[in-house]
Amino acid sequence: MPDGRHTVLWGLVVARAARHGRPASAGDVCEVAVTSARVSGGWVTVAGGPGPDFLMHVTDPVSEWLADLQLTLGEGPCHDVQISEGLALGSDLGDAQSGRRWPVFAPAAVQRGARAVFAFPLTIGSIRVGVMGLYRDSAGPLPAAQLRDCLLLADTATVLLIEAGSHGVEEAGGGDGAGLPGQSANLALHRAEIDQATGMLTVQLGATAAEAFARLRAYAYAQDRRLADVARDIVARRLRLPPDSPADGDH
Amino acid sequence: MIIENAQAALPRYCPASDKRTIMMDSDLLVATFVDLADTMVADFDVIDFLHMLTSRSVELLAVSAAGVVLADPRGELRVAAASSEAAGVVELFQIQNDQGPCLECFRTARPVAADLNSPDQRWPRFAESATRAGFRSVHALPMRLRHEVIGALNLFGSGPGPFGPEDLRVGQALADVATIGLLQERSVRRSETAAEQLQAALTSRVIIEQAKGKLAERLSIDMERAFTMLRDYARASNQRITDVARNFVDSAAADFPPSPR
Repeated sequence: MPDGRHTVLWGLVVARAARHGRPASAGDVCEVAVTSARVSGGWVTVAGGPGPDFLMHVTDPVSEWLADLQLTLGEGPCHDVQISEGLALGSDLGDAQSGRRWPVFAPAAVQRGARAVFAFPLTIGSIRVGVMGLYRDSAGPLPAAQLRDCLLLADTATVLLIEAGSHGVEEAGGGDGAGLPGQSANLALHRAEIDQATGMLTVQLGATAAEAFARLRAYAYAQDRRLADVARDIVARRLRLPPDSPADGDH
Repeated sequence: MIIENAQAALPRYCPASDKRTIMMDSDLLVATFVDLADTMVADFDVIDFLHMLTSRSVELLAVSAAGVVLADPRGELRVAAASSEAAGVVELFQIQNDQGPCLECFRTARPVAADLNSPDQRWPRFAESATRAGFRSVHALPMRLRHEVIGALNLFGSGPGPFGPEDLRVGQALADVATIGLLQERSVRRSETAAEQLQAALTSRVIIEQAKGKLAERLSIDMERAFTMLRDYARASNQRITDVARNFVDSAAADFPPSPR
């Protein structure tokens, strides 16, 4: 079921990265999303601390233009997902609803040939690492199967960016995110215990939620255990992770 | 799987089987729907609303635990709100990803009941876990949007037997109110608007789980107590629980409530 689909998508990401002779990055994920969702192009912006997000990857000039425009205007689907909790699916930028929602962005995008824009937050709860945007030159919603693929790919990009960030590496893909292939292929991210354990670890480690999550994954990987099982032990207070033991995550 | 003693963590109701046949307390029924309607004013907090709805479902239907389980577009079932935050109960909602009344309810778009006393169980693994947690009956009532099922109201009882027609009707009304609250008034004519709002509720839930964990660790309290503190502070300071939770997780300090700025 969802696990199986995740494995297929992760395989596509890894294969693409391997063709370019480098570890998988959020950029590879974006390229796979464009193909899988049958859209015209896409981009990834990355949250750069307190400053504005920066553009990490684009598939084509129109995507670059759309991403830049939203960063400049502070308006558009990608901006919406930065300030809310959800997705922003603009399936017809020419319709009245989109016109009301994005009065400047929508008509400008249509003029440039983008009839639909879909924005996926790269987040795990309060951990926000960026946004993946997709555009299509024709209007119409994302069918359910494509929406599912995009959400699964957004999860993958999120984890890659968190792990790249947790190793102090500027650009995603430079870190050893791809060093956890078994884990990435079997995310099972959406379990209450994993989120609770992440919150508990922020206190135990004196770390941000993103760092705590990266440590949790690194520990599970090093111990060859499922993320959800390690999280359950932490929530049950059977396991604590000590601060300052980076050895856990090295491999 | 740690499902033992989930029942012990729950408030005690005594849903004796004969109670099922007695007319439901109509004052409570009216009060519940008035309260729920009152909550749905502009900018209301969806998570607080859904949590209140599950708590009221427990009272009205004389069950032990209730949860709103949503269908994530990724293809899995996820808990958006539960009357009990006890770990064993949350686990019961989650394991229905593999089998159980909720999954069946999603597939058929119909109410599903399971009598765990019956020797012949359709979902043996689920039945075993639920029985171990002390439950005797389970219901899943569909949250419908036109022809689509977006979630289910999942009810666990410690009394035997399925609901009678009146309980079923009230339960379904509660499930429908949950749908309305979740999707709000905004033009849900477009199914993608529903997808956006579902995802927002699920992300809110993740933020709250992270905050519960941080608070539970900080104060050495359990997850249930941590949730109550977050909710009470949100209500007292007139904020959404999600916003309180996000600010708490984001802040470098682990103080709660956050010191006034």
